[in-house]
Formats: sequence, C-alpha cells, structure tokens
Amino acid sequence: MAELTAVQLFHQEEKRRRFRRGGFFIGLGVLCILLLVPFVLPSYKTVDLAVKIIIFATLVASFDIMLGYTGILSFGHGMFFGIGAYCVAFLVSKYGAPTYLNLMLGMAIAAAVASGLAILISFLSLRVKTIFFAMVTLAIAELAIILATKLSVFTGGEDGISLAMPGIFSFAYSMGKFLGMEITGKIVTYYLILLSCLGMFMMMLRFTHSPLGRVLQAIRDNEQRAEALGFKTFVFQGISITFSCVMAAITGGFYAMWVGYVNPESCLGVFAIMLAVLLMCIIGGMGTLYGGIVGAAFYLITETFLPDLQHLAKDLFPSAVFLHNVLERWYLFLGVLFILVIIFFPKGVIGSVREFIDRRK
Amino acid sequence: MSESVLKVESVHTYIGQHHILQGISFEAVADAVTVLIGRNGAGKSTAIKTVMGLLAATDGRIIYRGQEIQRKKPYEIARMGIGFVPEDMGIFSGLTVEENMKVAMLVEDKTTHERLERTLNMFSDLRKFWKSKAGNLSGGQKQMLAIARAIVNDTSLLLIDEPSKGLAPIVVESLVKAINQIKERSVVILVEQNFFMASAVGDNFYILDDGFVVHSGVMEELIHNAELKSRFLGISKTANTG
Amino acid sequence: MEATFIKRRSRELAVAGTIILFLLPLLGISGKTYLTLTIAGLAMGMLLFLVASGVSIIFGLMDVLNFAHGALFAWGAYVGFTVFNMMMKWVTAESVFKNFAVFLFAIIIAMITVAVLGIVLERVIIRRVYGNHLFQILITFGATIVLVELIRVFWGPNDEVMTVPFSFRGNWDVLDVIVDRYRVICITMGFALYAAIQLILKKTKLGIIVRAGVENREMIQAMGHNIFRLFTGVFAVGAALAALGGMAMSVFSLQVYPDMGGTYLLFAFIVVIIGGLGSVTGSLVGAIIVGLSYNYVAYLVPWAAAGANVMIMIIILLVRPAGLFPAGE
Repeated sequence: MAELTAVQLFHQEEKRRRFRRGGFFIGLGVLCILLLVPFVLPSYKTVDLAVKIIIFATLVASFDIMLGYTGILSFGHGMFFGIGAYCVAFLVSKYGAPTYLNLMLGMAIAAAVASGLAILISFLSLRVKTIFFAMVTLAIAELAIILATKLSVFTGGEDGISLAMPGIFSFAYSMGKFLGMEITGKIVTYYLILLSCLGMFMMMLRFTHSPLGRVLQAIRDNEQRAEALGFKTFVFQGISITFSCVMAAITGGFYAMWVGYVNPESCLGVFAIMLAVLLMCIIGGMGTLYGGIVGAAFYLITETFLPDLQHLAKDLFPSAVFLHNVLERWYLFLGVLFILVIIFFPKGVIGSVREFIDRRK
Repeated sequence: MSESVLKVESVHTYIGQHHILQGISFEAVADAVTVLIGRNGAGKSTAIKTVMGLLAATDGRIIYRGQEIQRKKPYEIARMGIGFVPEDMGIFSGLTVEENMKVAMLVEDKTTHERLERTLNMFSDLRKFWKSKAGNLSGGQKQMLAIARAIVNDTSLLLIDEPSKGLAPIVVESLVKAINQIKERSVVILVEQNFFMASAVGDNFYILDDGFVVHSGVMEELIHNAELKSRFLGISKTANTG
Repeated sequence: MEATFIKRRSRELAVAGTIILFLLPLLGISGKTYLTLTIAGLAMGMLLFLVASGVSIIFGLMDVLNFAHGALFAWGAYVGFTVFNMMMKWVTAESVFKNFAVFLFAIIIAMITVAVLGIVLERVIIRRVYGNHLFQILITFGATIVLVELIRVFWGPNDEVMTVPFSFRGNWDVLDVIVDRYRVICITMGFALYAAIQLILKKTKLGIIVRAGVENREMIQAMGHNIFRLFTGVFAVGAALAALGGMAMSVFSLQVYPDMGGTYLLFAFIVVIIGGLGSVTGSLVGAIIVGLSYNYVAYLVPWAAAGANVMIMIIILLVRPAGLFPAGE
C-alpha cells in the first residue's frame, strides 16, 4: 500500500477525531433531550420552546455558514426566513389548500425563490466591500418588510395569513396513545420538524467539512491568496450564500407550519428575527455550527422564563422599582452581554470552550 | 568619535506572521548621512517604519538621543524631532501645497516660519505651486514637498525612504543637491536601492539582506568594492556606477 | 473613446441625469404641487444630511462604520423632548424670540449630551475594534440595542408627542404656494450647518488635519498629530450632528419613539453610499437626492418610495461604488 499523502493523513485524523469533539457530544445530548421533551415536559410552553430552539438553532447554523465559515455578514437572513414562511403560507392557505402536496410545494417554492434571490444578492457582493454589502442587505430586508406590509392584497398586509396544517399535522388529528401520552397533530409536527432540522444540520456539517467548505474557509481567511491559488472566489461565495439562504427559507417554512400564522413583524422583522439570529450566533460562537444550538437555547430559554424571573425579583425585592424596570428590559442585558462577548470572548461559548480545551492539550 | 544620534539594537519586527527584521542593529551618527541599502524585500522600509513607530518592534531597543523610543507612538516620535518621508511620499493629494505644509508645521512661531522660508528657497517650485492641489504636482515636485514637510520643524533626524524611486535622473540630481544641503542641519538616514543616489550623499552604509545587516562601513569602501555590490545589490561587476 | 468620456465625467453625468429625472414629475403634476414636494424633499434631505455627514466623516477618518448612529439620533430627539417638556411655556409662547431660544437651547443640550455619549462609546467600545469592520458592525449594533433599551428605561417604551414651537407651526403663503414654515427652517439650518462645516474643514488648522487624516491616517500620525484624540473629537462631533438631526426630525414628524433611529440610519447609509464615504459635500448631495426622490415617488407611487431609494443605492454601487464624491478626488 502506498504511503498516504499529508492531506490524506489529515483527513483520516480528522475523521477519527470528529466523533470525539466536544461539540458533537453536546449536540448528541441536546438531541436526546429534544427527543424526549414532548413526553417528559409536555406542557405547551416547553414544547413550543423546544420547537423554537430547534428551528432557530438550524437557522443560526445556516447564518453561521455565511458569517463564520465564509466571512460574509448579511442582514438579510431574517428576510429569507420570512420568505420561506410566506411561501408555505401562500400555498397551504391563501392561494391553495391544506394538502401534503401543497405543503411540499410550498417548501420547494420557498427554496427556489430563496436561491434565486440569493444568487442576485451574491452578484452584488462581488462588487462591494464588507460594509457596503451589510448595509445593502439591511436595506433590502427593510424593503421586504415594507413591501409585505404595503402589498396587502397579495400578502395579507399587517394582518398576515393564518394557516392550518393538513392531515396528520393538523390540530384535530390524534393518533391515539403512546407511552401514556396522546399523540396529537402537534406532536407529529414536532417530530417532523425535529428530524428534518436534524437532517439539515447534518447536511450543513457535511458541507463545512467537505472540500468546498474548506475552500470557503480559505477564502474567508485570505481572499487574495485563495484567488491567487486559482479559486474563483466569487463562485464559491455564491454557492455558500445560496445554500445558506435556502436553508434559512426552509426553516421559515417549518416555523409557519408550527405557529400557524405569518405576518411581516414576526417573520420578516429585522428586530424580531435578524437581531435574534445575530445575537445567538455571536454568543454561541461564530464559525462553529454547534454554536447555534447553544445560542438559540440560551436566548430562547431566557426569553421564555424571564417573566418568572421578574416575578421572583418582585417577590424578593418588592421596592426596587428601578431593578424591575431594568429586568423588564431584558434586551438591555442581552445587548450588554453581546458587547461583552464580542470584546472578551469573540469566539462565543463554543469557540472559547474549544480554545480552552485545545490549550490544555 | 561622532556622537550617536540613533541606535538600533537587535530589533525584530513582524508583519503579520512574517518575521521581516531578524535582529538588525545599526547606528546613525551626527554630521553624517547613513544609508540603508539592499535589494527589494530586504527589510529596509520595515526598519525605517519601525524606528518611526508605525510598525511595532517585538524585540530589541531603539535609542534616540539617549531615550528609548521603541514603545512610543508615531506622533510622539515625530514630536521628538524625527521627520519621516515614506516610500509613497505620503502627500495629501486633495490638499494644496500650502495646506500640506500647514499640517506639517507643529508650532507656528517665528523660527518655524523662518525654516519654512529657507525650505521654500531650497525648493522654489513649491512656492510657485503654493495654492495648487498637491495631487497636481509632478513626481519630483511631490518628493520635494514630502521632504519639505519633514524638515520644516526642528528636525534633528530625517528618515527618507527611497526618494529617487521613479524619478528622472535630472530630478535625482536636484534631490542629491537638496539632501546635501539638509545634512548640514539634520542627521539623515536614507533608504535606497539606487546606488548612484546612495553613493552621492551617503557617508556610512549598512547593507540589509533578508532582514539582517550583512555588511557595514564607510561609503568610500563600498564604492570600490565590486564584490559586495554584486552580491547584495545586484550590481554587475562590469557596471560603471562609481 | 466613448467609454473613457463616460467614465471621466461619470459624476457630472450622474448629477445631470438626476436633475433631469427630478424635473420629469413636472410633466405630470402641477407646478405648485411640485414646489411643495420639492421643499418637503429638501427639508427631509437636510435632516438626513445632518445624520449622514457624521457617519461619512467618521468612516472617512477612522475607517469605522458606526451602526450606533441611529441610536444617537434617537437620544438627541429624546433629550430635546425632555428640554421642551421642562420649558413648555416657552415652546407654546407666542413669541418668536422665546420659541427660537428654547429650540436652540434644546439643540445645544441635546448635542452636548450625545457628544458625551459618543465619547464614552468611542473610548470604551469602538477603540477595541479598530481595523476590523465585521466586529465594528457587530459591536455598534450591540451598542444600539443597549442605547435604545436605555431610552425605554428612562423614558418609557411608548411613542410620545413632540410639541412644535408656536411660531414654527403653520405655513407661509408665497406667491400662492403653501410653504411649510418648519420645513424652511430645516432647510436653512441644513445649509447653514453645511457652510459651517465646510468653513471649519477648509479654514481652520483642525479641519485641514482632519481632511489630511481622511486621506492618509498613517501619515498624519507620522507628522506628529495625536490621531486618537482626533478620532475621539471627530466621533463626538459626528454624534452631536446626529443629535441635532434627531432633535430637528422629532419636531418635523411630531413624535419621538425609541426605534426612530433605525429607519433614519438606513436612509443615512443610503445617503453615504450615494454621496461617497468621507465627503461632506457628498453627504449633502446624496441627502438631497434621497430626500427629493423619496418625496416625488411617495406622491406618484406611494408604496415604491422606500424601494426607489434602495434602487438608486444599488445602481450607484454597481456603477460607481466609491460614490459621487469620494474622498481624495
């Protein structure tokens, strides 16, 4: 047998190490928890929280592919999420009926529209520098919100669109009992979303570890050098952006499926979606897909249980009005935390942990 | 023995991950022009920029008139009396010649204005184009402006990086004349690839190669040393550059 | 040969083309309506200029993209709002002198407060991310969140009504054209400020240093100028301008609300891209273009107003990415 080349040795070593990396175990642990949630913590609140974590973790991972792995900052990710949500809503409700076919068609169309728009946007990114690109995507995202609101004939305007799910996913459905729990349409939907997002996440992992993913990282680290080496950076960046945006759109579709309602504020809103994604990505860790899981979990759990925290504070310190005021503004905390993370832990939770472990070796 | 104005001791400088200066040492003494000479990429510009504080020295010392300056910021170093003329001249093209000089003058007192007068006498073209945008000047005139800016203050040490680059021979000659005048008032450290320029104004030399000082001595010696010239400066042994 | 002519004169062609485009609506609407729209557009443009000029110079000199500018804008409005509330008698008084006095006073207090805020921001946060555009965007975004949330903490999360000083209300009738008083005030203020900024930049030593620094940051340091103090100073001035814009805008739109910075920040960026980073004249021209086009389009095709501006921005980015008046030209 011939001697392995250095690159092949590297790949072999990486494959061996892959399953021992911390991130993988966290992911596995989280997956187990998520699989059990509907049975162990069946209240609506926790199941809803779990689904949101699943969806947002996947969304943030897709954002991370653009930001952490390709080095491109786009403020338009929320828009793609919204496009996915709206496409599904259009086909299952406004312009169609709740059938399985329409559901899949909705997802497919979401993917198609997303890829078309992403390709257009990547043409723009070729021409301009980082900052301009960020601003342009912000402008386009805001434009999308305005269009969705103003063209109410098509999009239902500010009131949005409600949708009902077909067949086994619908509210009314019941599959009987399993392990002492009634399996409703919601539960079925839950597992569909969980498994689909798991699949998407694994696809993204595969993407970053593929030769394509490596070239992207090379481009991110030193674009000129990558070009000098012969890679058409633009093509690679375009592929990455398109992949990332299509993933985002599909998660948007799932969001519509679960929540059953889309409107500009909640689905396209820069402040509602994009900001959260950014915060989750940075806090969890840029350039580590697993960071999305940590970031999403942290953000959403805090958001869901903050009212309880507020009540606790009110009980313990009934007269500290200012404290109440500040606690009510949990975004303030998040903003400060965001800044602190950027200054002191630019690699986020996962990144810093990995660095810590590496240094220990 | 002449007094040492600038002493660089075993300085290391990195640009990104590249170890450019690998422990160079040189000295500029009073009443002499010291030339740093060498091929492209030898580290000459990096050395000058490190002295000026524009690049950080990771190791070693730089001593100017008895004070260690390797940790100081560029504007502090400039205010200590060191003038800098970079390789690309650093002209502010959108500003007029007058405004360029105004930015250069750190204090606006009588002595500075007298120095300005003297400088303008030396570079009469600048007076002619006083109100024109600096971007409209010719290459040679821009170089004059860059030098004028650097000497209008009370400069005791002037660092010039490849002034003759891209200039016609006749302009280079006027540059030589100017530097020979300047060296009466300030110590000059000149970085050059052009051997004619270096030998015309230089008194002492240091040859840099790959981030090291490989040879040093008085200019007289270098002019007649064909071996050194061909090895480190790429000057063929049959060329007539003396 | 044709191509080089277009390239060389691209700026002049762009401006000429825009002027022609702006005169087109005259074909469809009456001269009076056109004039009203034009004045509205110019007024909006002036307010945008105030915010955009700060962003432009800060980027030109410090190479820092300040996403927090919108939040500073909002803070300016709120501080002005508070001053008005404290001196409401002078705001509603029927005396031109009192109205102007309280307006100016509110502006000054707002500008000083926000300048201080800007200095804190620059020293504590922005210093740490010099040279890294990505982190600059992220960290100033974070700063925006914090600043806007602080507004909610101090002033509450609701929209508040901004009182217009008595003599600023209403219209003047000029040759049968209804001209909004406050809009004219805004336009005057804008031009006055532009003149003041240009004066400082061209005639004072500080201004010359700033212009030089915009062109070559490294060289200005090597010539003995403390670039860090310069940065802090410029940032503070930029912040103060944003505050002025915010204050003026709140009177213009009769309200203050915590998120008001967001929309205008977007417009400000569009202005800066069109006008060119680092150029005050560019900001002025860009702002006028944005203001006018927004108003014309809003009248003719209401839902396309915001889109029109984004379109212009994209076109400029594709044709002349450096903007109409890039620094150093």
